[in-house]
Amino acid sequence: MLSFTLRKLLTVAGTMLGIAVLTFVITNIAPGDPARLVAGPNATEDMVETIRSEYGLDRPIVEQFVIYMKDLMTGDFGTSIVSTRPVLDELLRYAPATIELVLVAMLLGIVVGVPLGMLSAVYKDGPIDHVTRILSISGVALPAFWFGILMQLYFSVELGWLPVSGRLPLVARPPDMVTGSLLIDSLISGNFKTFNSALSYIILPAIVLSFPCLASILRVNRAEMIEVLQSDYIVAARAHGISSRRIVAIYALKNALLPTLAMIGLRFGWMLGSTVLVETVFDWPGIGLYAVSSALASDFKPVIGVTLLIGFLFIIANTLVDLAYAWIDPRLRRA
Amino acid sequence: MSNTEHPSAPPMTFAERHASQIRQVRLYAHMFRGSFSSMLGLALVIAFLFLAAFGPWIVPYPEDTLGAVHMGSRLLPPSAEHWFGTDEMGADIFSRVIVGARTSLWIGIVITGLGALVGVPLGIIAGYKGGWVRACIMRVTELFLAVPGLALALAIVASLGPGLTNCMVALAIVWWPGYVRLVEAKTLAVKEELFVESARSIGARTPWILWHHILPNCLSPIIVKMSMDMGMAILAAAGLGFIGLGAPPPAPEWGAMVSVARSYMPDWWWYSFFPGAAIFLTVLGFNLLGDGLRDILDPRSHTR
Amino acid sequence: MFSSIRNIALAGLVASTALVAPAHAFERTDEGNVIVFGGRQAIPVLDPHIRYDWSTRMIQQGVYDALVKYEGDPAEVKPWLAESWETSEDGMTWTFHLVKNAKFHNGDPVTAEAVRYSFERGLKLNKGVAWMLKDFLAPEGITAVDDYTVKFDLKAPYAPFLSFLPWWFVVNPEQVKANEVDGDYGQKWLTDHEAGSGPFTLGRWEPNVLYEVTSVEDYWKGWPQGENRPAGVIYRMIREPAAQKAALQRGEADIVEGLTSDDYVQIAKVPNIVIEDHKGMTTFGIKFNTQKGPTADINLRKAIAYAMDYDAMVAIYNGAASLETSPLPDAMKGHIEVEGMPRQDLEKAKEYLAKSDYPEGGLTLDYVHVAGLEEARRIGLVLLDNLKALNIEVNIRPEQWPNMVAAGADVETTPNMTSIYATPISTDPDAVAYQYHKNSWGQYYGIAHYDNPEVSKMIDEARAATDWDTRANLYARIQKQIVADQPEVFGMLQNRRWARQDYLQGFTFSPVRFTGEVDLYPLWIKED
Repeated sequence: MLSFTLRKLLTVAGTMLGIAVLTFVITNIAPGDPARLVAGPNATEDMVETIRSEYGLDRPIVEQFVIYMKDLMTGDFGTSIVSTRPVLDELLRYAPATIELVLVAMLLGIVVGVPLGMLSAVYKDGPIDHVTRILSISGVALPAFWFGILMQLYFSVELGWLPVSGRLPLVARPPDMVTGSLLIDSLISGNFKTFNSALSYIILPAIVLSFPCLASILRVNRAEMIEVLQSDYIVAARAHGISSRRIVAIYALKNALLPTLAMIGLRFGWMLGSTVLVETVFDWPGIGLYAVSSALASDFKPVIGVTLLIGFLFIIANTLVDLAYAWIDPRLRRA
Repeated sequence: MSNTEHPSAPPMTFAERHASQIRQVRLYAHMFRGSFSSMLGLALVIAFLFLAAFGPWIVPYPEDTLGAVHMGSRLLPPSAEHWFGTDEMGADIFSRVIVGARTSLWIGIVITGLGALVGVPLGIIAGYKGGWVRACIMRVTELFLAVPGLALALAIVASLGPGLTNCMVALAIVWWPGYVRLVEAKTLAVKEELFVESARSIGARTPWILWHHILPNCLSPIIVKMSMDMGMAILAAAGLGFIGLGAPPPAPEWGAMVSVARSYMPDWWWYSFFPGAAIFLTVLGFNLLGDGLRDILDPRSHTR
Repeated sequence: MFSSIRNIALAGLVASTALVAPAHAFERTDEGNVIVFGGRQAIPVLDPHIRYDWSTRMIQQGVYDALVKYEGDPAEVKPWLAESWETSEDGMTWTFHLVKNAKFHNGDPVTAEAVRYSFERGLKLNKGVAWMLKDFLAPEGITAVDDYTVKFDLKAPYAPFLSFLPWWFVVNPEQVKANEVDGDYGQKWLTDHEAGSGPFTLGRWEPNVLYEVTSVEDYWKGWPQGENRPAGVIYRMIREPAAQKAALQRGEADIVEGLTSDDYVQIAKVPNIVIEDHKGMTTFGIKFNTQKGPTADINLRKAIAYAMDYDAMVAIYNGAASLETSPLPDAMKGHIEVEGMPRQDLEKAKEYLAKSDYPEGGLTLDYVHVAGLEEARRIGLVLLDNLKALNIEVNIRPEQWPNMVAAGADVETTPNMTSIYATPISTDPDAVAYQYHKNSWGQYYGIAHYDNPEVSKMIDEARAATDWDTRANLYARIQKQIVADQPEVFGMLQNRRWARQDYLQGFTFSPVRFTGEVDLYPLWIKED
């Protein structure tokens, strides 16, 4: 098990390096000129040059690459030319908001997806099954940006129930930062008022983000449940006269849950990458918004940073899932 | 399989020769028809393809799809003349949404096509060859899979500059690894099968085996994936269009339309509602179709 | 079981809705009222010598003071840190006398040395505002004569000198030096700190979310609204126009800047909401590549100018724009209405086309605009529609700003047509006229690569002349000649618009400010 874990960790490191190379190359295919943007519209050529040399943009691309990789080894993600701040600082500032959003969305996905998956497995091919199938596929097919706008319109503007965008009301002082998640931090500090308002701000974006995740959780859970329900021991349990509600709720669900959890793990990284559009619509100050605004300004260090961070979390999630499987099923360790 | 045919048997008709396949197809068709959601998907896809094919000839205001400007009739609500209302330049949204199907179809075909074209051969080679070739291909594939697709596409488009072509190139670059992984896994399984072993033992050349045995056996999951991907590619391109990196005006592209229209919420809701609904229905159609096909062609893959 | 779940859900919903129930408009805090400004643009770097886009400068103007300040419509240079000044006969030396009671937020007095240091810092960093003065002023040319007198010796007479000074804010050298890292002139620290003497100081600073300034009770210049001085202003990022509108309607914002033209028309009908609608100085032009490609042909340029539907341009702004009558905006000193400014006239357009190298049309021209600029995109659509009459096709290409500028820096890569919004940085006619000087090639506003030696010569003369009548005469000739050469389709001046709650008082407009930029100093909230 130990050597398996070590091997996995080595792979993680290799992949991270690969991602860094890949994104650096891609963002430099036809790089824009961020120096000119931040120099201001009236800047003279020598002023632009000042900024270029300050950020090393005047050096040959290969040299820039070597410098970047060297810095990366020491944990330096470079400097954003737009904000003039270290990318790492900004990532740490924006990441908690995104992770919080993703976690809440996943929670929603699980809370709704697992029971729905169970229901459609139990009533396989019945009307419920068909409805949930169409619902879940609709969830994947919904353009998040469009759906988000519709939700804003209805729940915020029309009904006035929930705030339009942002993360907290303006005068509400954010709780002392512990985890970076407003929900958790406000609970820790016992500030239920802030917790409530943070909750009201996160509901809409989380719902919009949860739909694709809900769909895949539902489907995995359904498929697993169907398989388990047909297995010998369930049939035996039925024969023993255990109530079918009990069978479904306890025996079958327990066995179907592991693959579902694995699915959720895999989904985590994917969702981190897909918050971009939701964050744009809801003005959610996370890494997605950070990546978009940086990319639009041709400020690529932050884009590489975000990609690395998401890639890292994605790989970690995958590795954990792999390790969990290997732990349960030793045969997989050789793979 | 061909080696079961008896050389001295009398020539058979097409129906006889393919009797088992025909039976299979009939069975598939029967199963497919039995599923409401699959039929719904098929209907949506057919409607979409029809609009994409004949859109420019059936819309009421074809010139509006080419950038005609009617400043006198801006932002009119849906009516008998303008079923979906008009946009901020006075163009008929109904016409633009319908002709937009073409753009979307084109996007979907190019992205999935390029993705499959690159991914399938690589997957087959990786799965069949094994060894360091497989290791190399799979490493690169995993690398791409680990990078968040939309973020990567965003970076590519931001670097290359906005536009439909760059948008499609970017998405194709993030799309192919999915095919490699799918096909590689399938190839690994198929190449151990008896009929491949026997073909190899009688000295069949590798390309022949790949073409006649491996590829056909990988075909059904590929078809399923491509059907699903059509929808997802259209959705992803619309997302890039929404950020402002998609098709330039006046091309009617749904994502770009929603992007412009979002500023016109909520008073002019129809402007963003209809293009958004068009994206939704199209993607839904392809996904339902793909889902239905998967149930029939590839039932085991459901879990993963 | 289900009913209990439903109850919980409902309770949760009620709890959360009660909290966000829209509420009173402005934010009340213990210290007083806080005005909320909803804007789309972030403020990544506050340092007054590094950046100066509109949102940044709005806050800079709040926390810093300059020697002089622009106020009013038409904009005038008013004494601020400097209570008086004089110019030498030859226009080379400017002497400013500072007020004696100005002090920085940490209590240090604002001295001549602070002014000298600030200008030196701006020039040496060679970023942001440096371009305005660096050709005429060297760091050595600034001297603190005594504690309250500062003297500028220019390299050459430069009539517009004073018009740039409102944008050169004064920082406290002591604070900056104390926070210097590796001789960076405190750049790192001033990114999100301030060392100013202005009416506000920084409050909460959450990049990309909100930026708060709180008012300084004993501001040396006092407060025009007296006791009604707000506790502060929060500049909140609201990126989507629809969200801005909703925030305004729900009372989450007191003033917003980025609605669509149609929104302004719509929201004007809402009670308690007032639209500020003022004639601006930002010119819009479709600049031709006058050196290379088909648009090097003046007859083709004239044909396009006459084919353009100018009324549609104004209609795009729902009437909140006025057509340019000269290359110079109306509010600028020395502006004249040039006769024969092209207006849509298809006959004439076809006449010019016939004289051009493309009598039958049949060509495709690129029209480049900054990606995301809605109005520029729509003007492109109008152009595309109009040029169909000349059998000219238009290829609309959105580009990111840096890429567009980079391409436009070189004649070879400059597109046929580029839409350019240019906001003059000062009220001096030179700020616009110089865009047509050959030295402006390579700059975004010089993207037409216009070259008329006579015009360049007149611009140089007008710059150096100290006598206004001489200058006015020169600028009149310059304007006429530029229109005759048609380096661009002269477009319109868009109005500057804001939507605000009616209780927000003290809003003042000055056309020299950037689009969206508001003077925060006189604002206050009138409570019933």
